[in-house]
This record gives sequence, C-alpha cells and structure tokens, in this order.
Amino acid sequence: MMTAMYLLGARYRLAVMSGIALITLFTSIGLFKLEIDTSFDSLIPSDDPARIVYQRVMGEFGSDNKTIIYVEDEALWSTEKLTALEQLHTELKKIPNIHRVDSLFSLRSIRGQLLDGKPSVKAQAVLENIPQTPPEVSAAKLRALGNPLYVGNLFSENGKVTAMIVTVEDNEDEKNFDAQVYADIEALLEIHNQDFERLFQVGPPRVNAELKTSLVQDFAILGPLAAGVLIASILFFMRSGLAAIVPVVTSVLTTIWTFGMLGWAGIPLNILSAMIPPLIIVIGSTEDTHIMAAYFRGLANKDEDPKFKGSDIQHRAIAYLATHTGLPLILTVLTTALGFAANLFSSIGLIQDFAVASTFAIVANGVITVLVVPFLLAQFGPKTVTTEEERSKIYKNNLPDRIIQTFRISQDKFPIYTLAFTGIMCAFFTYQASHLYVTNDPLSYFPDDRPLVQETQQIHKELAGIRVFFIALESESDKAFLEPTNLQKLEQIQNFLEKQEVFDNSLSLADHLKYVNREIQGEFAQLSLPKSRQMVAQYLLFFHRSELENYVSHDYRRANIVVRHNISDSNTLNVYVEELAEAVQQIAGPDFEANIIGENLMVNQAAEDLMVSQVKALGLLLAIIFILMSIMFTSLKGGAIAMVPSLIPIMLMFGIMGSLNIPLNPGTAMVAVIAVGIAIDGTIHLLARYNELCRSTSDYQGAVNEAVKEVATPLIVSSIALALGFGILLFSNFTVVAQFGALAAATMLISIFANLLITPIIMARIRLVGLYQIISMQVDEAVLDQSPLFKGMTRYQRRKAILISELHDFKPGEKLVEQGTIGRSMYMILSGEANVVRRDGEVERILAELPPGQIIGEVGYIQPIERTADVTATTPVSALRFDYERMQKDLKFFPNIVAQLNFNISAILGGRLADVLSEQKS
Amino acid sequence: MLAKVDSAFSRGGLFAGMLLLSMMSPAAADVSLTEASGRSLMEAVYERHRQYPYVYEEHSMVLIDRVGNRETRKANVYFRVEEDLRQRLLLLFESPEDVRGVAVLAERLADGETRQAIYLPALGENMIQNSGEAGEASFLGTDFTVENITGEQLEDYNYRRQRDVLINGKMYCVVDVYPLEDSRSDIPLRRHFVSQDNLYITRTDYYDDLGRVRKRQSHHDLTQVLGDMWRANMMLMENLATDHQTLIKIDRRVFSQDYVPADYFTAEYLFANGRAHHPLVDEPDELAEAELTGGAAQ
Repeated sequence: MMTAMYLLGARYRLAVMSGIALITLFTSIGLFKLEIDTSFDSLIPSDDPARIVYQRVMGEFGSDNKTIIYVEDEALWSTEKLTALEQLHTELKKIPNIHRVDSLFSLRSIRGQLLDGKPSVKAQAVLENIPQTPPEVSAAKLRALGNPLYVGNLFSENGKVTAMIVTVEDNEDEKNFDAQVYADIEALLEIHNQDFERLFQVGPPRVNAELKTSLVQDFAILGPLAAGVLIASILFFMRSGLAAIVPVVTSVLTTIWTFGMLGWAGIPLNILSAMIPPLIIVIGSTEDTHIMAAYFRGLANKDEDPKFKGSDIQHRAIAYLATHTGLPLILTVLTTALGFAANLFSSIGLIQDFAVASTFAIVANGVITVLVVPFLLAQFGPKTVTTEEERSKIYKNNLPDRIIQTFRISQDKFPIYTLAFTGIMCAFFTYQASHLYVTNDPLSYFPDDRPLVQETQQIHKELAGIRVFFIALESESDKAFLEPTNLQKLEQIQNFLEKQEVFDNSLSLADHLKYVNREIQGEFAQLSLPKSRQMVAQYLLFFHRSELENYVSHDYRRANIVVRHNISDSNTLNVYVEELAEAVQQIAGPDFEANIIGENLMVNQAAEDLMVSQVKALGLLLAIIFILMSIMFTSLKGGAIAMVPSLIPIMLMFGIMGSLNIPLNPGTAMVAVIAVGIAIDGTIHLLARYNELCRSTSDYQGAVNEAVKEVATPLIVSSIALALGFGILLFSNFTVVAQFGALAAATMLISIFANLLITPIIMARIRLVGLYQIISMQVDEAVLDQSPLFKGMTRYQRRKAILISELHDFKPGEKLVEQGTIGRSMYMILSGEANVVRRDGEVERILAELPPGQIIGEVGYIQPIERTADVTATTPVSALRFDYERMQKDLKFFPNIVAQLNFNISAILGGRLADVLSEQKS
Repeated sequence: MLAKVDSAFSRGGLFAGMLLLSMMSPAAADVSLTEASGRSLMEAVYERHRQYPYVYEEHSMVLIDRVGNRETRKANVYFRVEEDLRQRLLLLFESPEDVRGVAVLAERLADGETRQAIYLPALGENMIQNSGEAGEASFLGTDFTVENITGEQLEDYNYRRQRDVLINGKMYCVVDVYPLEDSRSDIPLRRHFVSQDNLYITRTDYYDDLGRVRKRQSHHDLTQVLGDMWRANMMLMENLATDHQTLIKIDRRVFSQDYVPADYFTAEYLFANGRAHHPLVDEPDELAEAELTGGAAQ
C-alpha cells in the first residue's frame, strides 16, 4: 500500500500535482485570514476557575490594563518641566482610544490645615495650574508628595520621578488599536524626549506591540535561516543538490498548508507559532533525507523487484524506497505527531494552538513527502544507475564514522562501565532536575537586556512594579466595609504584605480613609483608621465614587486591595501568594470570602498547570510509544529498550535546565515531548535494521555493529541537522523560543549518544522480532502445516519461530550440511529441494530427496556429533537454520516459542529413534 | 463661625438661583430671541428664573456608577436671602443613616464673597471649613463639581450665540461660554441649550481643553413655579469620562419663609440638634399650600 501511495506521485504526476496545487491554493487564501494573538489571555488556562472571579472583580473594580508613562528628571519640580509635562498630558489625551490620563494634572488632593486656628479641609487638584514661582512649585510638590496614596504609585519619594497612567479604551471595531495607541504614544514621547532626562512607556499596548513585532521578525528570519542551515548541512553531508532542494519544497508547501489551515480555522499565530517554519524544515528534512538516501540506494540496487520488472529505473528506485522507508516513515510521522499532539493536554491556549498547528504540520509534511518527493524524483531525479563509488559519496563524510568508532571502543571494551556511567549520569541529572522551577510570565519571554524589560525594572525601582494583583474580600453583610473592624482586616492584610517583603506596595480603602483621617484630624491621627462606622461613611463623602471604585464595591460588601509587584518567577510568586492566601483567609475569617486574583497572577499560576500538563503529555507519549514499540517488536522488552534513547536525553535535558537555572516555561516545557517524538525515529530505524540483520546471522554483536554502521550516518546527519535547525531558534527575539531551541538542539545531540552508544549495548543483549516482519512474511503455510517442527503451534507462533531462526538461501549444488563436519545447526527447508548424499570414498549415494518442510541435522543440534551425510540443494533452496547456541540464548527472550520448538525437536528425534529401533527389530 | 471659603455650594435650580440674584440685570428682562446676543440672552434667562428668597427642598441624590449600581442619598436643602442680600444655604443629609446629620453650610455675601463649612457629626462639635477650590473637585462624591453647581457670574465670561437647534421637536438657543481672558480659544468651556419655550437652560455640555464633551448636565421634569419662573425637578449630570452619573430629584419644594428659619443656618443649631433634623415633621396644613411639587413637566 505504501508503495502504491509513493508511486502515485510518480505515475500520476499531473493529477497528483494538480491536487497538491489546488490544496495549496485553497490554503493560501487562508493565509490572509491569519491573525496574530499576543494577548496574555492565551496564557491562562481556559478552565481556570479564577478566570470567572477575575472577570467579576475586573467588572466591579476596573481593569488593570493601563500604560505607565515614566518621567524622570532631576528638576522635575520646576516651572519649565511642569509646563512640558502638562503639554505632554494634554497631547496624550488627544490620542484616539485613550480614555483617561491620570497624572499630576488630574489628581486630587485633600489637605487638612488650620485656618484662623480652626480646622479646615481643602480638596483641590494636585496641580491645577502651572506654578510660576519657586514657593508655588514647592507648595505643589508638598501637596503631591504629602499624599500617601500617590507616593510610590505616581511619585517617587525623592520627587524626581512621576508616572502618568494612561487608560486605553478597548475598541473592538478597530483592529490593532492598541498597537496604534502604542505607536501614537511613542511618537509623542519621541518629541518630548528632550524635555526630560528619561521618558518611556510600559504597558500592555507596548508589550503586545513588541510581541507582535518580534513575532513577525521571527517569522521573517527564522524560517529562511533554518532553510539555509538545512541546505548547507545536507549539501555538506550528502553532496546532492536535489537532496537539498527536496526538503525546501516540502517545507514551503507544508508551511503554506499549515498556516493556511490556521487562517481558515481561525487559530491565531502566537509566539510559539514562530517556531513552526523552522520546525517543519528541520523535522521534515530528516525524513526527506532518509527517503533521498533510499532512492539513491534504489538506483544502485541490482536486485530487481519482480513486481516492477520492466518499469523504468526511477520507478524501481521509488518502489525500493517505498519498501524500505514506508513503514519507518509512517511510524516516525506518527510518533513525531504524537509528540506535538501531546501538548494538546495543556489547558493553556498558547500551547494548545501550537499543538494543533504543529501536529497538523507534521502530518501534512508526511502526506506532502509521500506525494511530492516521488514526483520530484521522477521528474528531476537522476536517471542513471548510481555506481557504488558514486553512492558512497552520498554519505561521504568522516564525522559519523569517527563518532561510531569512538563509541565502538566503549561498546566493545567497557559495555558495563558505559552503562553504569550512563546510569550515574542520569541519576545526577535527575537530581539536578529537582531544582527546576516554572515560570510563565510574559515579560520573561523577552531577554533581560531588552529595553522593555530594563525599563520595567526601572519603574519597579523608582515607583513600584507594573505587575498587579488584587485581594478581594466579600461579605454577606450589607455595608460591611463601613465597619472599622472590617477595615482593620484590610489593614492587617496589608501589614502582612509588608512583612513578606516581596511586594512593592498595596493600596486599599483603608489607606484612603487613613489619609482623610489624618488630614482632617491632624497629625495626631497619624495614618490610623477612623474609629466609628459613621466617621467612615462621612469621610467617604470626600471622595468621588470613581476614586474609590478600584477599592470598594458600591454597596460596600466587597473590598479590594491592589497590590503591585515585580516578581517574574512564577514559582516564587506562587509560593508567596499561597502564603498570603492562607494569611488572608485567617485574617478575613469565616464571614468573608477571600480571593487573590489578577491576570498576571493567573498567568503565573498557569505555570503549575504547565508542569502538570507537561508530565501528563510526557507520560502519555512515553506510554503510547512503549505500547507501539512493544507491539512493533512483539515484546515488552523491545518496548522498554526503545524507550532508552528517548529517556536518556530528556533526563539529561531536565538536568541541564536545573543546573543552568533555565525555567520550565511554555517554550521549554515542550522540548521533552517533541524530543521524544523525534529521538524515537532514530531508534525505530536502528531496531528495525538490527532485526533485519538478525534474520541472517546468529552473531548478534555483528548484527548490532552492522545496523549501527548503516543507520549511524543518516541518524547523525539528521540529528545534527535537527540540532542546527533548532539552534536557529537561538536567534529568536523571545527567550522562551531561544531556550526551546537550545535545549532541543542539545537533546538532539544527546540522542546521538543514546541511540548509537547506549542502545547498541543493550540491543546486543536482546533479540526482537518485528510485528511487521511476522505479518509481511511470505511463506507456504502448507509446508509449515505439515512440518513436525511447528506442530502444536499457532500460525503466529510459527511465524515468530521462523523469525527467531536464521533464513539462508542456497543455490543448486550448495551444501546445507557437509558430511564429516561437526555442526550444531538444524535446518528446515522452506522452499526448494535437496538431496541427502552419503559419500563413501569416491562413491556418492543419494539416501533421500528432501521436499519443503523436511528437517535436517536435528541430531547434531542436540549432540555435537559428526555429520553422516551431505545435504545438497538441487534447486534454489530457502531454509531456516536453528542454531543450538542461538536457541539457548533466545530461550530467555522467547521462552514459549523456543520451549515448543525444543519439544517438537524432541518429538522428531523420538520418532527417529523409534524408526531406528523398529528397523533393528525387523 | 464660618471662615472664608473659596466657593459657594448651591444646587440645581435653587443653588443656581442663589447666584442669579447677584447677577440679574433688569434691562435684560425683555429680549428678542432671534436678535439677542449670547450675553443678553443669558441675562434674560437669569432674569426670567430669578430665585425666590425662601426655599426649602427635599432632594434624592442617586449616584450611578459605570455598571449601573446605584447609591441613594437624601438631603434637605434650606435657602434664604437675608435683608442685606446675603444668601445662605444649608444642605443637611437625611440618609443613609451613617451620614445623617452631615451638613454643608454656605453663604454668599453681597459682594460675591462665599464661605463654606462642613459639619460631620461623627467628629463631634466641629465645623470644618471647606476651602476646596472651585474647578474639578467633585461635590460630596457626586458628579457635580463645585463649579457646575455654583453657576456662572455673567461678567466673568464671554458668551457667543450659536445657531439655534431643534431637539426632539423643540427649538433651543445655543450659547457657548468662553473665559474672559482666553478669548482666542475656539473651544468653549461649556455650551448651554436654552429652551425657547421658557428660556430655561435644559442642558449644558462641558468641554475639556480638547473640545470633547466630558460631562453633560440636563434638567428634566420642568415645573412652572411662579409666574414665568420655572424649576427642574430632576437634574442629571453624566460624567462621560468616568461613566458615572448623578441624578438629583427634587421630591418636594416649598417656597416659604417658615420652612427656612434663620437660626437653622448656624453651627450652634446643627450641634444642638445633633443629627439630621426635619423642621416641620408635623407641618401645619396651611404651609402645605406653598408646596409646589409636580406641575407642568417639560
């Protein structure tokens, strides 16, 4: 079937290419529908119950979506600077979609003072007009810095820094309005840059805009760069222009299909999507490399498949590659797709969207490869038979040989030590992995030296962190937060926050009341809460509702503490928030429902989900691969061994992350599953080839060496190409993507070590039979039915028993057994005929003619005695060889089959003995 | 008792009327609507709706936030004009319970000087002088600022008549208000919509320095109270910047000297009577005749 599929592209070129062109055209249209999503929303699990609370809290207390304009100047409080600041304030308000600008020029201050010896309160704007004289300037500064509600939020204590808070109105009718707002503000700041020592903006529009810009840059750079690296590495290793072009063609088509599908399906691009083009190129190219290599081998192959007799050389080569790469291609596409699909378990939208896109890409690449590569080969491939000499050029490079030779020393001389060392290394790195921490903070996606990150730090240093969360308390009682006892709870929670010493500041209704209390009652009241409910209610008359709406609900049943911080490490944040949650619950008591909520918090708490989903995805993938491999090699041991080359790299990878302090984030979290999906490909090729070789030799070590030799080059080439391809991601603008690339590249390189050093040591100690071999075996069942060797065995067991044995072909005249030699092998003729000939000097006497199904040499198999006759093939003979030593080894691998074979051999020998005794009697 | 204040508190028809007395120009009483300039039209408006010297009103203030939550306060407002043309105003909160008794005491002297003090019963017998500047400061948590509610001194502004407009089938004269000093600006401070039916300002749009309407004050349920004099029984201030609204509903209005005795306008009275006080809980029937609630709603 695979052969037929492969030949579709070669035989029906016009039809297949028309189909491909139509799909490509259709998906191309989808490209125009593609949208970019850099919202933080996609970082929050869709099933997070906190999301509902968050939306309710946001609905009630207002959005946390604000941009901070940071203004720093040594002479900020001067007429000149304040004039420039007012101009900036006014111009900011002119920008479309800016809903509100809170600054010196819009803030209100309540000042208590004695006027004619009587208490007086003065509510006024902090800065209504620009002060023109130094005393006026000083008075205004005093007003601003005297308000504890603003210091640390809007003014630095030293008075050199102020912030303007810009609230952007959501405009659903206008696409990319936030990017436009960012650009407009940026243009304005550019003009005013000269007025102040330091002036910049930080906020969601900027973060979004920078994410989008970086994403587009990544798309523009990473794909072509990966393609360049791929072409270079293929040219270097394979010395074939066609081999370099084929992966580019399939990758381009896959990229169009994938992103077109995303456009049609309404799945937006996100920062992880930027990885897809290079991933398609590197992963897709590995299969293309195997196929191209198989094609070249097919051209050189002299054993013509009878089914394709008369076909042209290209068709025969394509048929050859289909036979030899068909099943591994399906398996590798399947396992790689599973690796990516496992990420669907994440409830984080960002990862889910990536999982859909990448899984589709892998499958699409498989389909395109099967249909397009044969077409390209038929159309543009070489049409002459490649000579052995030319073929050897395909992998003409010494690097793989050197690697194999180096590994061979360890395999041959210190196999146990090598395994032990690997075990210790794995244990060490597993221990290092215990230092792993998780982070999901959007700002951590950017490198530390990026201005955005540094400027965020600057705001934190001078004012307070830009990250915000809320502590919301809710009571069943109406007007609960008019009660001083309940306000004290807010105060106690804020005191606890201070004790934690990790959050920058907090603001609540209690702060507002303490402030008014101080201003009205004088300094003796310090910053203490009002003593009675009436006093609370009466102080609140000094505030406009909009001034309090972030802190208390209209009915005073719910109160909100706004906390600002600068913690980007999810693990640290989650630990402190957990500690805070306990304290809040304790302070609030049973009469209050307490929630700690915030978009930033949910994003960080999603890190926990990231960890869980990662474990789930990895566990599931390993389980699926274990089951698949166990079925494929009809043995649980086979399944377990196939896991080794996958497990070692991921243990080492997590260890490296732990050692180098690389966090688990939406990028790095995916490395393990993707690496397993890719690394298993090499293992499949290795084990499959080893099994094939074991069919013709009882020298398992020899088979291992041969299999490694054959598979090593494409495996090393593809792993290095993959590592280089992943390495390209280091050029990404996003730290998460760069970390993903670096780790995936390292994992690919480690998988070479695991596949070619460790797996062979284990492999030589086992014997596997492939399910596909059992199924695809061509045998005359009638012969087997009649053979006493397979008596009492099911058809499956017979086939497996055949695969445990060695298959040898003999030409007419060749001897299966030679008289006078001592051998421990027994044969069963599968097809053809042979004669048993005894030689007495020059005289040869045919003792018997053996048809298919006959057993030869069973006595020698049991007891090392001299062979009493020759067994010579009279026609081409295919015979199964059962070697005593090998069967003893295989007994532990296939106890049931070998025991049944031994039993049947005993029965055969018993029969022979009975015949002899009967002859002697007669 | 009252110290110098920077602004006066007045409210709606009553408060605005407090200012009218000092601004009226008799010559402006008769005016041709088609020919009148902005200034003369405004003078006519003020003349038509001159304030009665003794007014008692019961108010419901409804504060509505951006999601529609409402908070209702009730207050009684007392106003009287003394013989020396001193205008005095007392706003006394009735509810909610926690603010009952909170009072704002204001007066405007004949020379235009205003004073204002606040009494918070929770703080004991202390009058707190309110020296808040007129401008953007909101009034007791409402969307009305001091400036909105004190009205305007005609001589402090320039008025420019704009093209009349038809709104909901009624013709309105449109007058833009500009500051005296900065007459170059094309952006008015506010725009009055004067009903041609009764020369009553039914709507005022407040602009920011970019010419955007940030607040809109509208008067509803207009009632003809005395002669040509009209009053609104409902006033709405919409703050378009914050999506907040404040609705003031006049539940009861009485023009009677008996309802606003002079001794009410003192700190001593407020202290002595403790918390909120209703002057005429068992009011005599004859006083009810002076009540002018309801009427010709517009």
